[in-house]
Amino acid sequence: MLLEAESVSRAFGGFLALSEATLGVERGEIVGLIGPNGAGKSTFFNCIAGDLPPTGGRIVFDGVDVTAAPAEEHARRGIGRTFQVPATFEDMTILENVMVGAFLRHHRTRDAHAKAMEVLRLTGLEAQAQQRARSLGTPGRKRLEIARVMATEPKLLLLDEALAGLTPSEIQRAIELVRRIHATGMTIVIVEHIMEVILTLAERVLVFNQGRTIAQGKPQDVVNDPKVIEAYLGHHHRRRRARKAEP
Amino acid sequence: MRLAWGPIALWAALLLFPLAVSVSDSAAFLDDVGTTLILAAIGASAWNIVGGYAGQVSVGHAIFFGSGAYVTLLVYELWELPPLLGLPLAMIVAVLFAVAIGLPSFRLTGHYFSMATIAVAELVRLVVSNWPLLGEAIGIQGPATPRGWWDLIFRSSVPYYYIDLAVLAFVLALTYAMERSRFGYYLRAIRAGERAARSLGVPVLRTKLMAFMLSAALTAVAGALYSFKLGFVNPESGIGILVSVQMIIIAALGGAGTLYGPLIGALLLIPLQSATNTIWGGGGSGLTFIIYGGIILLLARFEPGGLIELWRRVGAATFARPKRGAADAA
Repeated sequence: MLLEAESVSRAFGGFLALSEATLGVERGEIVGLIGPNGAGKSTFFNCIAGDLPPTGGRIVFDGVDVTAAPAEEHARRGIGRTFQVPATFEDMTILENVMVGAFLRHHRTRDAHAKAMEVLRLTGLEAQAQQRARSLGTPGRKRLEIARVMATEPKLLLLDEALAGLTPSEIQRAIELVRRIHATGMTIVIVEHIMEVILTLAERVLVFNQGRTIAQGKPQDVVNDPKVIEAYLGHHHRRRRARKAEP
Repeated sequence: MRLAWGPIALWAALLLFPLAVSVSDSAAFLDDVGTTLILAAIGASAWNIVGGYAGQVSVGHAIFFGSGAYVTLLVYELWELPPLLGLPLAMIVAVLFAVAIGLPSFRLTGHYFSMATIAVAELVRLVVSNWPLLGEAIGIQGPATPRGWWDLIFRSSVPYYYIDLAVLAFVLALTYAMERSRFGYYLRAIRAGERAARSLGVPVLRTKLMAFMLSAALTAVAGALYSFKLGFVNPESGIGILVSVQMIIIAALGGAGTLYGPLIGALLLIPLQSATNTIWGGGGSGLTFIIYGGIILLLARFEPGGLIELWRRVGAATFARPKRGAADAA
């Protein structure tokens, strides 16, 4: 087991944003975290990434307890993450952005440069290497974030809504990229609220609602789970779906 | 690939400046202005490491400048040692100050960090102004007459000019190497976004602290060079807030976070200051404030990246228009 999160909770003052979430991820898996807005999936994600220390439970990564470790320690241990709202280094070039990531494992500039170029080829950003990050639009930024974190050579890749805000054709290209990365043996945890994406990518999903995990399993099974349908669409749709299924 | 003739011409002009003005009637005055300019460029370049590259706008750098100026003169005052020998000690004092200020205040970001540094600098200025050992409000002096070359007392400004120019070359060479190293990339990443930098494994607090220490040590050198030349320092000229503000204005005017920004800023601002001081008399410090304020307004409103950024933009617009959004198509 690469990642084991056990009964992870996070409270903000008196508000319990995440209550006892448990997740185990095997090496090479793609796991999806889904749920409506405010369900706690991003909170859970940020706990795993080390951005938000949990107020309860524990997180073990690669045999080491990282529950209370700071974000940079998570990166060093091999947990890489992207941000929901891309946090690219705007004034730096795309190559320089990726080099910052590459410097984690390659201390010499020449080695970091070589690693960054390799990642830029993988992610298809090679041609824009010398442009500043600010020249990119949303799809480019999301791609750059993935490139930057891949340069840190993570064991676990955490993607936070890597596809939100993209057009269908951009989504298709982004899915191809995630598949290509997965094919290299990367373990991936992806937060997404676009169902279509999860269905095509994840082997297993964890569904959140109101701070709790309400279902877990294969995507096809989960989307037909009445609890999940209710969480996403409300009572009305569950009844409608049920009526449709009857005859 | 940009041509390197720009920097070459700049360095050649700086090297030849005292020779070129030696034919002028006011050579001594011009040499003095030139030395002040180089000294200001050193201070601003030192500030630039933490204030520009790392984006941590310290308004307390006068403490480090003051450490350099005071400690070098103090070793003469106490033990009659040449001020030059006080330099290593001055740098150590500045670095200790940097650690003491940086450790608690780097947990603050943005304006809060700047405000904390102002507060500490004013506190230190008040302590120095009331400390008999440091001459209270009057200040302290170095040797009045040279006991040997090591006292670094010259009648002309020209030797100081070349000493300062060598130090400036050293500081910029160091900055150049830093820009290309992991440390330099990490500083720029921190300026662009601490949270993202941390997620890529950048040890943010440690990196900021190291930049602050390096910057403090180099600023202390600037302070020491100041006291070598003037042979005198008081709380206002050593630790006054104007000392910090001048470094910031010069670096920001030329371009904070760029190699040549501070030098270019000094090339513009110092002659301007000297001119106003000459025209309206030495008491023109009020006018200096007005000029600083005006520059801050113009930069904040029109070009936060400074003159170098303006130059790049105008150059880019003239020679090659990058297609916005072209990268997204790929």
